[in-house]
Amino acid sequence: MKERKYEILLKSLTLHIVSFIMILPFVWLVSTALKSPEEVFTQHLTLLPKKFMWSNFPAIMKAAPFDIYLLNTVIVCAGILAIQLILVIPAAYAFARLNFPGKGFTFILFVIQIMLPLEAIIIPNYLIAKALGLLNTRIGLILPFVASGFGTFQLRQTFKQIPASLEDAARIDGAGHFRFIWYVLIPLSKPTIITFSLISIATHWNDYFWPLIITEVDRVRTLTIGLGMFLQQESGSDWTLLMAATLYVCLPIIVLFLILQRTFIKSFLTSGIKG
Amino acid sequence: MKRLIFKFRYYLFILPGLIFLGVFTYYPIIWATDLSFKRWNLLCPKPKFVGLENYIKLIHNDVFWLVLKNTAIFVTVSIFPTMFFAMVLAILIDERMKGRVYYIYSIFYPTLIPMAAAAMLWVYIYSPNLGILNILLAKIGLPKLGWLGSSKTSLWALIIMTFWKNLGFFMLIYLAGLQNISKDLYEAAYLDGAGWWKRHYKITFPLLGPTTLFVFITAIILTFRVFDQINLMTEGGPGNSSNVIVYYIFENGFKFIDMGIASALTTILVGVLLILVLIIFGIFGKRITYEME
Repeated sequence: MKERKYEILLKSLTLHIVSFIMILPFVWLVSTALKSPEEVFTQHLTLLPKKFMWSNFPAIMKAAPFDIYLLNTVIVCAGILAIQLILVIPAAYAFARLNFPGKGFTFILFVIQIMLPLEAIIIPNYLIAKALGLLNTRIGLILPFVASGFGTFQLRQTFKQIPASLEDAARIDGAGHFRFIWYVLIPLSKPTIITFSLISIATHWNDYFWPLIITEVDRVRTLTIGLGMFLQQESGSDWTLLMAATLYVCLPIIVLFLILQRTFIKSFLTSGIKG
Repeated sequence: MKRLIFKFRYYLFILPGLIFLGVFTYYPIIWATDLSFKRWNLLCPKPKFVGLENYIKLIHNDVFWLVLKNTAIFVTVSIFPTMFFAMVLAILIDERMKGRVYYIYSIFYPTLIPMAAAAMLWVYIYSPNLGILNILLAKIGLPKLGWLGSSKTSLWALIIMTFWKNLGFFMLIYLAGLQNISKDLYEAAYLDGAGWWKRHYKITFPLLGPTTLFVFITAIILTFRVFDQINLMTEGGPGNSSNVIVYYIFENGFKFIDMGIASALTTILVGVLLILVLIIFGIFGKRITYEME
């Protein structure tokens, strides 16, 4: 297919403009995070700070326990993902490859959960967390998210595509359900599992509403909540510190994705989140 | 008895998931529906059955209707432009091999950063005196806008910010969908003399149907649940101008401590979401089951 010159030009111009507009807020975030308050007040739109204020970062660590927030966020994300995988893989296997009464109905219960996010039913969930003594605990930050209808649905689709001949071969070799899952299904479904894991980490790194409701002490707070508290504490007086804190909250997840970018984009595009 | 256990033995695989679904999704819905018929607030600390009182109170409350209107605007105005631009960008990126990763990342990164962080960044961008938007407006000689501080613009400012945040996510899903369309189709259409628009209108749009359905459902869920940016950027204000349903539930439950009203709102929201599920399955049911098999 030959493209005309102006077509190529038009396309890359569009993409460059869009990319530029999208990336501008982040550039401004990094730039402000490294400026001094005086420089921000001059209202000059300079990209590079006159003087790099690396001291903004130690300053935010002193103002709020961001290291504890970071640790809590890592624990909560890892906990959610680990339990999700333990629950999702056997369920997806059962829905993809086993037959039992009530299969269709129970599968629909999992799928409908995708449409009923925790945000919508926050009030009764808060009451349940309170009744179970989960307020101000890390486990309370984890448990409501461990059953994933989305993950069950995605993995079931992938498991279904694995040829029955492999299953027969495994059975003849005497493999039970769990050996088959461990040695055949999981290795063959790696792209989907990786994509699901990355989406799960990104989603729960970003959780704000639930931690806001159930945490009241710094000991169990996560990064996003710490950031929100910091905004109230500073009440928009010092943008350099606020932007430094914002950058600190974003960086770990962005670095994780940059390290895994090839795997991520590849698994996303090949495993495909297909309709 | 033994035969019964044998028949249901595979439930062991799904039971753990079902238990958590029960505790944190389905039981809460039943509980909220029950509480919606009870009075339970600061003046009445023990839940007491009052029939439809909470619902009647809501119907006579102007703020409730304003919240519904804001939610409707937020959902429709964010979904369709986001879907359209995401699809067009995905097509453009798919056709350009050069600089592909750069485009993908510069459009996708807002999805990765926490909404709380994005909200913080945009509070700064919208800030009346030091924000980049007003500085730019002043530079080209236009009057400064109130953005988050004005009841005329607050909801739109939130919609713009949410568009920026979600665009890349949908773009990536479309890009994944495009990988399933054979490039030979375009080659054949090109040889038959079809131009760029015609090729995409006749090939891409129809074949992206299932992807579009998936994006549509995801977009609905994402926009109905908006809370973080509202709480951090406007707190529903000024004067409820940017108050939407989930924030209104939070306000009633945790600020006004009226669990009865908050539960009635929850029941209404869950009802709307379930009706949407039914409509989507009704219209696209065949296609979804086809996709599922």
